Amino acid sequence: MAGMSGKRLQKELAKITGVLPPGITLVSAENLREWQMDLTVPDNPIYPADHVYRLKFMFSTNYPIEAPECTFIQLSTPVRKIPIHPHIYSNGIICLDLLDKQGWSPVHNVESVCISIQSMLASNTKNERPPGDAEFVRSNRSRPRDINFLYHDPSV
Amino acid sequence: MSRSRSFSRSPRQSIQARFGFFDASQQPPMPIHSSSNPTGNLLEVTFPPAELQRSMSSNHASLRGMRRLEARRQMEETNYLSSKARSQNLNPPVDLRLLDYVTPYDDNLMCPVCRCAFIDPVVLVECDHCFCRDCIRQTWATTASAYTPLGPRGDCPSCRTPAKLGARSATSKILVNITDDLVVRCPNSEQGCEATVKRGEVQDHVGIYCGYSKQECYAEDCEQPVRRRDADLGCLHYNVTCFDCRETMQKAELEAHWKAKCPDRKVACPQCQEPILSRVLDKHSREMCPAVTVSCPGAVLGCTSRSKRSQAEVHAQTCTLAILAPVLAAQKQRLDEQEVVQRTMSRKLEVLESGFAAVEEILYPKHSVQAKEDDVRADERRIPLLLEDGDSARRRHTRLESTDVEDMDEQFSGFEFPSPTSSRPMSSRLIASLPPSRPAPPPPGPRPQDLPEPFSTDFDMPFPSAFPPPAAHGPYVSPLHHLLSMHEALRDELSRVSTAVQELDGRQSMHTLNENLRMREEMGYLGAQVTGLSRQVGWLTSTQLQRQQHQHGAGVGSSAGGGGMDGIAGAGAGVEAAVSAVGAAASALRGAAQVRAQARRGHSEEGRTKL
Repeated sequence: MAGMSGKRLQKELAKITGVLPPGITLVSAENLREWQMDLTVPDNPIYPADHVYRLKFMFSTNYPIEAPECTFIQLSTPVRKIPIHPHIYSNGIICLDLLDKQGWSPVHNVESVCISIQSMLASNTKNERPPGDAEFVRSNRSRPRDINFLYHDPSV
Repeated sequence: MSRSRSFSRSPRQSIQARFGFFDASQQPPMPIHSSSNPTGNLLEVTFPPAELQRSMSSNHASLRGMRRLEARRQMEETNYLSSKARSQNLNPPVDLRLLDYVTPYDDNLMCPVCRCAFIDPVVLVECDHCFCRDCIRQTWATTASAYTPLGPRGDCPSCRTPAKLGARSATSKILVNITDDLVVRCPNSEQGCEATVKRGEVQDHVGIYCGYSKQECYAEDCEQPVRRRDADLGCLHYNVTCFDCRETMQKAELEAHWKAKCPDRKVACPQCQEPILSRVLDKHSREMCPAVTVSCPGAVLGCTSRSKRSQAEVHAQTCTLAILAPVLAAQKQRLDEQEVVQRTMSRKLEVLESGFAAVEEILYPKHSVQAKEDDVRADERRIPLLLEDGDSARRRHTRLESTDVEDMDEQFSGFEFPSPTSSRPMSSRLIASLPPSRPAPPPPGPRPQDLPEPFSTDFDMPFPSAFPPPAAHGPYVSPLHHLLSMHEALRDELSRVSTAVQELDGRQSMHTLNENLRMREEMGYLGAQVTGLSRQVGWLTSTQLQRQQHQHGAGVGSSAGGGGMDGIAGAGAGVEAAVSAVGAAASALRGAAQVRAQARRGHSEEGRTKL
């Protein structure tokens, strides 16, 4: 099993280091367990073109069967902020059914997840955090995969 | 002791004792030293004390169970060992997902889950999407938690259609053949097998042909695995020592150790092809390998030449930048050190300067120069101590011990004779702040040019000439001494000023006391006058009353008596009014006196504050 996830991640990495869609770049993938990708959002005034967002992927040994943990992370050098979106909490946790047990499919890969998040940001019109953001960020101690989100917004 | 021995004579008795059937009267306790019982010692050895025996008897059943378990485990172990001995193939089944493919294959032959060429591909009934059988099973095993009696089913990972595996879900043979014909490397390629076989045959290759897969040693009594190619060399499971690194291992592992692990093995440097010890290979390629391209040592100065390490030295001998580089590096290091030192020095200087500025602010507050000047002049009028002229003060200043230097006096005398060459901004500013109409007094004593510069506030100016020359003219070896002497002088000045103020205060209070006495006398005089006046008025009214009574008593009747009484009463009221008017006048006088006294006191206060 571990071999399968490693092999698949190697293949994905080989593909990703070749050609990537515009606005998505690979930053680091040192140990095949944690990857970091940079993301820019085209054509949305909420996210100017010079703002870059950092996505962190954590893969379990069960990877293509289990979804990776995918969060935005905040950095000071270079400046990476958490994008403002009604489904992205200010600690970087993304409320997206694609990243959850029900929504995940082993057919997805890092590139497709990046494209999904990019399009989610690009189609956003509300410059706001999710309701109850402060409360959630203060109280949440669990990992994103252990949170039971309620996916109510089909418009994203 | 004796009791326990008597109880443990037989198990039955101990059981009876346990359940309380035993009565002490039935069996009297035996004496300790009794040797009549021949089995006394034996009993003590064979039977443990009552407590232990009780627990053992209660655990009897579980002991039996454990023994059974033990037996079963042993049987399983022997079974496992015998089955292991029977199985000739010690190699695990090949995981086809981990193989390296030699020939590139079409993306359409790739399972979307594991990204490998399909392994035992299946087609979903509803949507015709194709996956490896293991992949789709694993996917559905995690998502479909409920019991599924109708066979494996779930959503298609690609299109999310609810799907299931049909009874004949396997794809057509042609797809299986295509994928099985892909050529892969042997999974033992890391050990050295260079075979590339078709994927469908790789299991057979590993199990039967590959010389690098394991099989059991042919030797008697040796069941350890050995590589197939080494199996004919006899049993290799004896300890040997590596020639290079002196590590002890089995002979069977020696070759692999030489090839991959031994730190003292020679490997060819990938750049220069020299045989290098593997443990120094990193260092070699970093620092020594002549085939590695390095940049000129003068690169920091702008030399762009890059050459192989072997030719780099030749270049460095001719390149001026490379020759200069170490010199400049040393210079730079020295500069950095100097900079650090200078930074600390400048910080010290800053601290000192700010301290000087603070002291200066205390000594000469700039905003009240004018008022101070007035005060000083007022002091000069009154206090004879300050009447010395600036000349003597200056002379005192040049003396070695100038403990009572009158700094203010000096300062102002310094302002009165500004040196024509002086370009110090602060003193010129202070001069500008003096009233221009003020007549300059005749210069007493020698001109300031041949005197040491009068102390002024600008001793923190960058010119060293702002300081008095330390050894030749004054005691001020350092600014600190200067400050200390100034401080001392200031303290004297302060004490002198305070005595003057005290004296002034006494004088003022005396003055007010005198004024008050005079006022009190005046008021007493006025009060006496007022009482005399009132007495006169009382006498006048009493004579008036007597005269009227006389007239009435002589000729007027009782009827007219009432009118006479009325007249008397009216006259009395008039007199009273007059008296009160006089009293009011007296109080008004008193008030006026008070106001005057207050005004006087206020005036004296004003004079004091002005001081």
